[in-house]
Amino acid sequence: MYQVNPQQTDKALAMTLLTEKTRNTIDQWLTKYPHDQRRSAVIGALHAAQDQNQGWLSEEIMKAVAEYLEIPPVWVYEAASFYSMFFTSPVGKNKVAICTNISCMLRGADKVVKYAESKLGIKLGETTADGQITLIKEEECVAACVGAPMMIINGHYHENLTEEKIDELLGGLA
Amino acid sequence: MTETTNKVADNAVTIEIDGQAVQAEKGSMIIEAADKQGIKIPRFCYHKKLSIAANCRMCMVDVEKAPKPLPACATPVMDGMKVYTKSKRATEAQRNVMEFLLINHPLDCPICDQGGECELQDVSMGYGRDVSRYVDSKRVVKDENLGSLIATDMTRCILCTRCVRFLNEVAGTDELGGMGRGDRTNISTAVGNSVKSEMSGNVIDLCPVGALTNKPFRYKARAWELMATSGVSMHDGVGSNLFYHTRNGDILRTVPQDNEAINEAWLADRDRYGIHGLKEQSDRVTEPMIKENGQWRELSWEDALATLVDQLKKYDGEDVALYTSNYATTEEYYLLKQLFNQLGSKQHEHRIDVTDFSAVDRLPRVDVKLADVSKEQKVVIVGGHIRHEQPILNHKIRQAWLAGAEVSSFGPKTFEQTYDLVHDFVGNQVSWVKQFASLAKSVAEIKKEFPSGELGEWVKAQSTDEDINHLAKQLLKDSTNALFVIGHISQSHPQAAVIKALTAWLAQVTAGKVNEIVAGANYSGACLAGLHADADIKHNEHRLNVVYQAELQDFADQASIKNTLTNSDFSVVFNAYCDDSLRSRVDLILPIALLPEITGSVMNNYGDRQISTVAQKSPEATKPGWRVLRVLGDLLGFNGFEYNDINEVMAKTEKMNWSDSVIPQDTVVADIKVKGLALYPHRSIYDTDCLTRRSAPLQNSPLASSDTVYVNEKDLLSIGFSAGDLVSVEQEGRFSELTLAVSDEIPEGSAMVHLGRDSTLSLDSSNFNVSIIGAQS
Repeated sequence: MYQVNPQQTDKALAMTLLTEKTRNTIDQWLTKYPHDQRRSAVIGALHAAQDQNQGWLSEEIMKAVAEYLEIPPVWVYEAASFYSMFFTSPVGKNKVAICTNISCMLRGADKVVKYAESKLGIKLGETTADGQITLIKEEECVAACVGAPMMIINGHYHENLTEEKIDELLGGLA
Repeated sequence: MTETTNKVADNAVTIEIDGQAVQAEKGSMIIEAADKQGIKIPRFCYHKKLSIAANCRMCMVDVEKAPKPLPACATPVMDGMKVYTKSKRATEAQRNVMEFLLINHPLDCPICDQGGECELQDVSMGYGRDVSRYVDSKRVVKDENLGSLIATDMTRCILCTRCVRFLNEVAGTDELGGMGRGDRTNISTAVGNSVKSEMSGNVIDLCPVGALTNKPFRYKARAWELMATSGVSMHDGVGSNLFYHTRNGDILRTVPQDNEAINEAWLADRDRYGIHGLKEQSDRVTEPMIKENGQWRELSWEDALATLVDQLKKYDGEDVALYTSNYATTEEYYLLKQLFNQLGSKQHEHRIDVTDFSAVDRLPRVDVKLADVSKEQKVVIVGGHIRHEQPILNHKIRQAWLAGAEVSSFGPKTFEQTYDLVHDFVGNQVSWVKQFASLAKSVAEIKKEFPSGELGEWVKAQSTDEDINHLAKQLLKDSTNALFVIGHISQSHPQAAVIKALTAWLAQVTAGKVNEIVAGANYSGACLAGLHADADIKHNEHRLNVVYQAELQDFADQASIKNTLTNSDFSVVFNAYCDDSLRSRVDLILPIALLPEITGSVMNNYGDRQISTVAQKSPEATKPGWRVLRVLGDLLGFNGFEYNDINEVMAKTEKMNWSDSVIPQDTVVADIKVKGLALYPHRSIYDTDCLTRRSAPLQNSPLASSDTVYVNEKDLLSIGFSAGDLVSVEQEGRFSELTLAVSDEIPEGSAMVHLGRDSTLSLDSSNFNVSIIGAQS
């Protein structure tokens, strides 16, 4: 079991970088856990911080989250670098994640990736020049195997992908 | 567990490991039981002092009736459990884990510092395959610069997370973490942060592979070339047990020696890297030297000692004074005392870092043994930054805090602590003592009993506030008694006697306990030898001065020792080092060896007498101090100097007995008025003795001090300078050129400087009055 060590109490960075809305959301998350397990609020807090920061987490804003939660910055970086839904470098307005895990792979995920890449002119992990679309580098199984192959656009599932359907979906984003 | 299994009263269960019956504590893990029995189970992530992670999976064992192999470090023992560590299923599981661990591990053992003492190497010899089946490319991890103490090669990391857990659980600093996911996980700091713990070096010992290694030791030697010599650290009053690793008589590194009662399995960085000061040879003295007509020349030991004997014979006993620090051996102190007895002088003082001589010298009061501090439930730190003064004691206080203890502190700075403080009373050097007195007042008002005499009157004159009253009530809660820890800041405070008297009174009325923390590895030894003057030694004028194993930087009142040495007829220094500031003020230099170079005993802060053995030969004509003193005694025709070897002297010092010490409470109190800012001379963690000052790895680490004077932002206006300006800290016409810095850790009305640096050599710590003026140069 980890220890919760003394943290600096100065929240200047958190108060300047995090908006009131973000701080309110984090406050709500904090009410759900005992104080010595406030580390658990980090995912909710990072989502809120990412939402206010054009969809990605800068070093500064992660530090601010750590400050606000009164936890070591390293815990925030750990969580942010672990989960594929957090982005530590700038991303496009729309995030497109194509599942390449086993079920989708067997149902042709590789072709979906190739098609999307050539349609958008970017590789996985890159953002279109107009800053509209980012193809997320890697997406693990999101438990939608029944509709494989599938992709997630801005958090919404789209299943049983065909080239026409991809055209329609990606075209709607531009 | 069924009712039929016999519930043993002593909480023990019996299990069987490889056919041997083993007693184990209920709830303990299989690996602990096996370790106790001496049955070897391979492991990487498990460490007896850290929490269980069970992430390396190396310790797989076969448990009867379990459907698959289980990790021994995370499987609790059950009565009647049958464990097989060498069965086919167990060894196969271990071999498979080994194969996975080696997939990404580089085969760079020939250039890896860990080679020869690597747990991965050892275990792969025992459990690994001889040829790898893996043909794809291996993972590469970018290295980070963790500073001057720890070298990194993170590609070798097997992600056991011992370093992460150590920093979180023991050091309390959370500087490393596991970033990323899956096969791309890597151990690193939070971006832009570094490892700053005063105990950071322990991650080197914990790392089972060559990912984290000792930086100054890098590429210096192989484990099998090294010889281990048992030693005791000379840097603080804990006396951590360690091994000096030498090759061809040259100390190359220091590693901890387990001692559950003292340093457990840990070493503070100061104890680990202090020896690198020995590598700094530029001002090491290796031949006896004498100053004649302003010119230094070397001379033989015979001539040097003859000169000294002539000089000593010239003066009456009381004209001869001795100043010594607290990091020599008890044997040297014992012989010095013998020498001065027969010279007829009581002008000898080991309390050179003390500024208040109103109380007589005595052993530190220690009510709680070091190992038991972790069981305390209330701790009050009185003028101390324990974390830097005795890192191991701080670790024990932290353990107490982790178990629920409440810690409060009084002092001149808001120190970064590894535990939360219930109350942190911070004021300048004058006002924090008053705050402490107001705690006494608050307690006295509740108990309706005041300290007697002047102290009581002074306590009555203080004012209390809500926080002070809260702490007073907390102290008087009858369930548990507080431990008061008197730190170095109090020891060297000009009102030390008052602070200690207040503490003693508070402990008395609250049924509390007191531990006094003294500086230096052998304060107790010097004290027992009786190397103290009856009053402030400065009050007498001496014509011949002897400085023994001390540098000007070790003194609290550096201004006056400089004058003393310059103005006397003759000054002799027995030292390993002699820098220009000391050299220019003395007439004769006798080169003697330092603690890692000699055998001798030291007595720590807690009364443990420990023996350190010679690990490295001292250079050239340098001699062990006890030999020089022995010959000197002979030459002077004194009795009792017929020692043939160190063991004969140690037979004498062995009889010196530790005794419980009483803090006197009848003390004179003077109300101190300070004009402007009050001086706070802070002795930083790596400015404690001649070795730490010269240790390049320590001086290049983030905790090293600097030529800076720190003030609170609110005082900037009255000073009239801004942060970053070069200023002079002036005291009675003497100047220290320093850079002005602003820190909110410093209270208003205070100016903190680092004592023990060349830049502050003109300060008198007993004088609070300083002013900050424009740079003089």
